Amino acid sequence: MTSQQVIFIILAVITLASGLVVVTNRNLFHAALAMMLSFFGVAGFYVLLEAPFLAASQLLVYIGAISILIIFAIMMTRRLMSTDESPFNSQWIAALFGTLLIGGLIIFVIVSVFSPFGDIIIANSAPPSLAVQESTVLLGRSFVDPDQYVIPFEIASVLLLGALVGSIAIARPEKES
Amino acid sequence: MFAAPTLNLWVITPLIILTVWAIILMFIDLFIPAGKKQWTGWLTLVGLIPALALTLMQWGQTGGAFIAEGGQPMVVVDNFATFLNTLYLLTGILAVFISVSYIRDAGLERGEYYFLMLFSIVGMMLMGMANDLILIFLALELLSIPLYILSGFDTGSDTSEESALKYFLLGAFSSAFFLFGIALTYGATGTTSLPVILDTISLDDPLALAALGMLLVGFAFKVGAVPFHMWTPDVYEGAPTSVVAFMSIGAKVAGFAALMRVLGQGFPMWGELWQPAIVVISALTMIVGNFAAVRQQNIKRMLAYSGIANAGYILIGVAASATDPEAISASLYYMLAYLFTNIGAFAVVIAVEKLDGQKGLLVEDYKGLAKRHLLLSLALAYFMFSLVGIPLTGGFTAKFYVFGAGVTAGLYWLVVIGAITSVVSAFYYLRPVLYAFMYEGPAVARVSRGLMFVLVVAVFATLVFGIFPGPWYELASQATFGNVATFVAGG
Repeated sequence: MTSQQVIFIILAVITLASGLVVVTNRNLFHAALAMMLSFFGVAGFYVLLEAPFLAASQLLVYIGAISILIIFAIMMTRRLMSTDESPFNSQWIAALFGTLLIGGLIIFVIVSVFSPFGDIIIANSAPPSLAVQESTVLLGRSFVDPDQYVIPFEIASVLLLGALVGSIAIARPEKES
Repeated sequence: MFAAPTLNLWVITPLIILTVWAIILMFIDLFIPAGKKQWTGWLTLVGLIPALALTLMQWGQTGGAFIAEGGQPMVVVDNFATFLNTLYLLTGILAVFISVSYIRDAGLERGEYYFLMLFSIVGMMLMGMANDLILIFLALELLSIPLYILSGFDTGSDTSEESALKYFLLGAFSSAFFLFGIALTYGATGTTSLPVILDTISLDDPLALAALGMLLVGFAFKVGAVPFHMWTPDVYEGAPTSVVAFMSIGAKVAGFAALMRVLGQGFPMWGELWQPAIVVISALTMIVGNFAAVRQQNIKRMLAYSGIANAGYILIGVAASATDPEAISASLYYMLAYLFTNIGAFAVVIAVEKLDGQKGLLVEDYKGLAKRHLLLSLALAYFMFSLVGIPLTGGFTAKFYVFGAGVTAGLYWLVVIGAITSVVSAFYYLRPVLYAFMYEGPAVARVSRGLMFVLVVAVFATLVFGIFPGPWYELASQATFGNVATFVAGG
């Protein structure tokens, strides 16, 4: 088995198992978290398929925007975060480790890039393969090329404009007459 | 390194006009004072009428634009698309005449109403012009999203909001089916372009079969065919009546447009496979639609079930087209006649509806209408006769052609079901007429000038289609798919 196949199987298990949790779990909040994990697995597939742009969009749009929106909605409607509860629960040690790990990583990256050795580190890190670079360029170009996907692209923007105007039209408070 | 792109914008000029005018109109609306908002409505016609004129000029032309993979155009204009585009634009124009006084009296007078209506029409037109599944999906959303919002436009009313939410959730559900079907088609053929699908699909690929099934489910939702019709009555009951009049024709015709093009240009060689599915859906739709309508007391719900039943009759022509592509023209003619009859019927409903608290919508509220409003009652009777399919109406000739197409294709028992359910339909269609003429009652109506115009046009058109159907059917029979090969040479 190649390493790609191993990674694929791991991602598939993560995606499907968390997807299963989404539909079976009775706790909405946990279901939302599991859905984020499932989205994360899908982003991993895009990386495997050498589509870094799609992977980044998946992370930004689905995990960064949609999931957070869903979690906000749950928090605002379900009173899960009632104030009389302690802000610490049994998992606070694990949470502390997780945040320290990610915070440390971020600091490490920032420091190493801006340190006097930053240029050397960047120069020594492997550049993305040509196919990966090209796929993003091709994707970008195909959206604006009249002989490819410019018309779906434009229609999608018209669609978003319609949705935007419509959402304002129904969300706007009633004027008292 | 960039070659000058060859754009054939003539194909989509009507769409550009409508989109640009909708955006301009939104800005003009800012400067129209609150009491004069009807001007936004009349100004909508400034976009719709040139678009209609250009569409009529496109009759007889075939062309494609935006050549994508496989050398096939993404957008095409052929007589099929032009015929249907004319229907949407006529619906839009008549809907404006209906809406102006209705939304003023209902207190819904906001400029976004017409903006959303124009965007929805753009989506409808694209449904019939799209030659690529991606574009069909986007067109489907572009037509649906404004309609979800228009259904909930009466933000003060719970039923309107309920109808918008139901429409939105079930519409999103059906879109997911449709998108899954596109994904499976892509998996089976490696393309989303309909002509390329035709060339590359293999007949014994289970993936492609599943894809076709999913696509059919998506379309059946949109046209309101049984067993995917459950949203229709609730949405029609709650949404503002002028919106219902618009979408009961526009959204349905657009759904059929894309269904016909996908089946006729993407999967025509699978005719014997999808024909039984369409036949069963058609039969169920006619039976369930007509029998459920009998029990309705609310006239909007009744017309919703009537809309379901009519989708069943249109599907007879689609089913027949599996063996005889010419049969499509019977369905096209049916939609043309149905447009005028249906919008006329809704115009009567709007005239009788009392806007303070959703009254005047029960069938009983028509008691004694003829005493005070004889002409309106006669118009109501005429539209209902047409919906039943009584001779000298457009509804009769429409059913005649559709049944004829079914008989030619050998779908005898489907035609028998159609005929029997038409007889059943007489029971519920004629009830409001009976109440209007035979009973005493307090029914009153208000006919604004816009409604009057729509009623006159609808009666006249239904009469013309009932007495001289020949030339119109001839037009419908010319509205066939363009020859795909010519696009590449000419595009």
